[in-house]
Amino acid sequence: MGSRPKSPDPIIFCAIIALLAIGVVMVYSSSAVSAYVNFQDSYYFLKRQLIWVSLGLIAMFLTMNIDYHAWRKLAKPIMIVTLVLLVLVLVPGLGRVVNGARRWLGVGSIYMQPSEIAKLSMVLFCASSLSLRQDKITSFVKGVLPQLVVLLLVFGLILKEPDLGTALAIGGTVFVLLFTAGAKLSHLFSLGFAGVFGIISAIIVEPYRMKRLLAFSDPWSDPLDTGYHIIQSLYAIGSGGLFGVGLGRSREKFLYLPEPHTDFIFAILGEELGFIGTITIILLFFLFAWRGFKVAISAPDIFGSLMAAGLTTMIIMQALMNIAVVTASMPVTGIPLPFLSFGGSALIFTLSGVGILLNISRYVNLK
Amino acid sequence: MASAAHVIIRKRVVILFLFVAVIMFGLGCRLMYIQFFKSSWLAENAIDQRIRDIPVEAKRGIIYDRHGRELAVSVSTESVYAIPAEIRDADETAAKLAAILSLDGDKLAAKLKKRQAFTWIKRKIDVESALAIKKLSLPGIGLTQENRRYYPKDNLAAHILGFTGIDSQGLDGVEMTFDSYLKGRAGSIVVEYDARGREIPYATHRFVPPVEGHNIYLTIDTVIQQIIERDLDRVMKDTQAKAATIIVMNPHTGEILALANRPDYNPNQFADFSPKLWRNNAVSNTYEPGSTFKVLTTTAVLGDKVVKLDDRFFDPGGIEVQGRTIHCWKHGGHGSQTFREVVENSCNTGFVTVGLKLGRDPFYRYLEAFGLGRQSNIDLPGEAKGIVINKNQVKPINIATISMGQGIAVTPIQLITAVSAVANDGLRTRPQIVREVKDRAGNTIRGFETDVVEKVVDAATAKEVKEVLESVVKNGTGKNAYVEGYRIAGKTGTAQKVGAGGYMPGKYVASFAGFAPADNPQVAMLVIIDEPVGIYYGGQIAAPVFGAAIKDIMEYLNVTQRLEENGDPEQVDPHVIVPSVINLEVSEAMKVLQKAGFNPRIEESGERVADQIPKPGSRIPKGTHVLVYTLTPRYGIGSVTVPDCIGLTLREASDILGQVGLSISPVGPGSKVAKQDPLSGSKIPSGSMITVFLE
Repeated sequence: MGSRPKSPDPIIFCAIIALLAIGVVMVYSSSAVSAYVNFQDSYYFLKRQLIWVSLGLIAMFLTMNIDYHAWRKLAKPIMIVTLVLLVLVLVPGLGRVVNGARRWLGVGSIYMQPSEIAKLSMVLFCASSLSLRQDKITSFVKGVLPQLVVLLLVFGLILKEPDLGTALAIGGTVFVLLFTAGAKLSHLFSLGFAGVFGIISAIIVEPYRMKRLLAFSDPWSDPLDTGYHIIQSLYAIGSGGLFGVGLGRSREKFLYLPEPHTDFIFAILGEELGFIGTITIILLFFLFAWRGFKVAISAPDIFGSLMAAGLTTMIIMQALMNIAVVTASMPVTGIPLPFLSFGGSALIFTLSGVGILLNISRYVNLK
Repeated sequence: MASAAHVIIRKRVVILFLFVAVIMFGLGCRLMYIQFFKSSWLAENAIDQRIRDIPVEAKRGIIYDRHGRELAVSVSTESVYAIPAEIRDADETAAKLAAILSLDGDKLAAKLKKRQAFTWIKRKIDVESALAIKKLSLPGIGLTQENRRYYPKDNLAAHILGFTGIDSQGLDGVEMTFDSYLKGRAGSIVVEYDARGREIPYATHRFVPPVEGHNIYLTIDTVIQQIIERDLDRVMKDTQAKAATIIVMNPHTGEILALANRPDYNPNQFADFSPKLWRNNAVSNTYEPGSTFKVLTTTAVLGDKVVKLDDRFFDPGGIEVQGRTIHCWKHGGHGSQTFREVVENSCNTGFVTVGLKLGRDPFYRYLEAFGLGRQSNIDLPGEAKGIVINKNQVKPINIATISMGQGIAVTPIQLITAVSAVANDGLRTRPQIVREVKDRAGNTIRGFETDVVEKVVDAATAKEVKEVLESVVKNGTGKNAYVEGYRIAGKTGTAQKVGAGGYMPGKYVASFAGFAPADNPQVAMLVIIDEPVGIYYGGQIAAPVFGAAIKDIMEYLNVTQRLEENGDPEQVDPHVIVPSVINLEVSEAMKVLQKAGFNPRIEESGERVADQIPKPGSRIPKGTHVLVYTLTPRYGIGSVTVPDCIGLTLREASDILGQVGLSISPVGPGSKVAKQDPLSGSKIPSGSMITVFLE
């Protein structure tokens, strides 16, 4: 603990830089057409992505050099701020509505999604709180419940926006953290059942979710409505074949696939770069997961382990969910692909998280 | 040193990592499945949604009559389409279009909101609407050229021509049976489009030009067609009949020279008429032919030498067959008569006697040879087979009734074909409606040869039958078909119609079948009047129609008139028959009339003779005045004065030109006629094409 920090893990660093670089190229390639159609500027999204990546990298370098133990005390205040923001975004007039969801908060031309902060602060909060309660973790009330109470608050507020994808990612991450921290399996099973029950009730409340759920299993049954996204996504990925149609030569981005540079960027990547491209992305995420979890295993203290595991899980879970959605392996939930999808605040907070992970890696002996 | 809790955490992270690795492996497999095994299928579908194959309609072939007069042409017209993705305000767009095109605005709006690449809004619209839509220049709404079928002579020959549907596909008549020749091959423009209907840069482009359809020359002669259609209109008016049919055939070749039914329809607006009127009774109807069938019986019994023309018969007014008495139509019978007189009188008793004498097997051999109970294979749709009692079930009573044309059902086309076989020295030919198929350059693609199907009887017997049929017209029941100057052979028929419960009281089919000239037949003709009101005897209502039509046809065909065979050529007759000068130029007409010994007088100042008094064929003393008229064309033959079309719309111009028997050929994109060629006031032959320039 007292030892002087080493340099951060180069494998995580390189994997992230590679993903970011591919992301910038793909954001440009996939957005050029819609950017020109909507803004008469093919570089519209590229310029912004470059700015966000730069800001994100700055944030990463900052957090990489902050001793991660500092977060242990900051976790609670950050969580409170996050909750306030999550409430504010729901206030009509304050939160900005895009595509029917009130997710954005900000002034002037600078907007951010409180739910993005929530991802990070939830990991910080859980890691901090679980490391404090680590001896009581086998007790449901004293060990598990505190995190669950906060999670339910956050989950409920994000669901209200609505942003089911992010809510599920956060819920999943907390669940994984509880598991990692050593919660009783019986407690976790009960929680799992409760989650399934929750999903079923959510479907009963909003029948359109059922349609979405069915759409992924057979998108061709409703090709123009619920199945449209998923069919276009499959057309794109499938058209790519082994080597892809070539960088910049996607056809699906010609307004067939909506939001090609955000949630469905992986589909365009699959079309342009083929299986070689998609498997490369999966391998990069695999490298990240491997090293991230390795940091978690080797971290000098429980807080570090839980932080590292939580941050890695948070990113990997989003990546897996996104890839599963665009390959029609799970129902459509709006989740961006970390590092690749266009998106400002998400990039900054994700890279901040990576910075923290890298900082932990500096206190670890990795081979 | 790690605490116990930390050890648990580390173990669980390992489990977590393995779990993540398994999911990643699963997703890798899923990607392999999509990008290897499903790749070609998905790529194909993806291309399908982007490639838009815009059809380019081929120009449909023209249908001409045998002399190259246009009967069906294709005119350019505009169709409106939408590319829904490019439309800004679907409701507003729909409302504007609906007002112009008289469509349901709500339905149209729903159509425009659908997520589809391309959709027709309304096809083949009129010029005014097209112009109005062009002026709106709505985003996502476009106009494209298509062809609309136009029948310049409206109802004329409708049942032969048929009509075409919205995709210019033949739906009835020759349009249908020769669709494969007429339609050509549609071309296409293949373009790759983005989801909003714009072309993708550097994408696939291909233009496949359409192949124009071939032109078809019918066997129909427009003038003869006009003659019989005029006569049909007259007989429908005179007899208040339910329907009527006339077929004119060249007996030697089997070519149909004219064929028409009443009631009829206008193929330019076929959809406005009941589909019942589209039915071509001439080939689709079966009816009991009655006494006209005796032509076939006569041929059969003379052919098998069962009877000779001079054999004597006694008609007591009826004959008993299988315990049933068949009465002759004449009360008390015809008494003693030769077979020739039996035919002349259409004596039922006589025919039943000879028919039974002929016997079942020979009789059926002839029925088959005449082509009854089978389709004639004319190239028109919807042909019926007729009804002939199964040979194994036929009883003498049936043979007896069939001999006089009852208990058997034929189609008009079967009967005219059978009568033509007699006229053609016993050779039955397949009836034909098309002479030639030519490509646009005029090369023959398919010619139609005379198709002799069967030798029914020998020429000598046929000659005997012709002779006796001539005497039917001269001396017998067919007197009303007699035309002075021409030798006409034929047979009348009156048949009570058969309904569900047997013969229907008061409902008859009057008919006349025959040919002329009797010794060297040029045309065979069948007249059928279905359910006339009042007089219903074929000899009284069908025979005069036959006579009137045959006279005009003979004149038109310039068949030289002959004195009857028993006329005395030695006898000096101060009377001379008036030659036909109709359609000749005035100067030539003068020469012809003067040469024939008449004193012609021109009543009007035209160039071409439209009518004459006395009519051609009249016998009048030499030196009589013959009045020559030039202005009123009788059958649309001769010249017509070109009307002024300047300032009219295309539709108005085509209506006006159609009324005077001219065809229209529009040129240019506009809506109003700016120029025309030939100019108004010019005299040109009927059926000519007027080119109008639209601006």
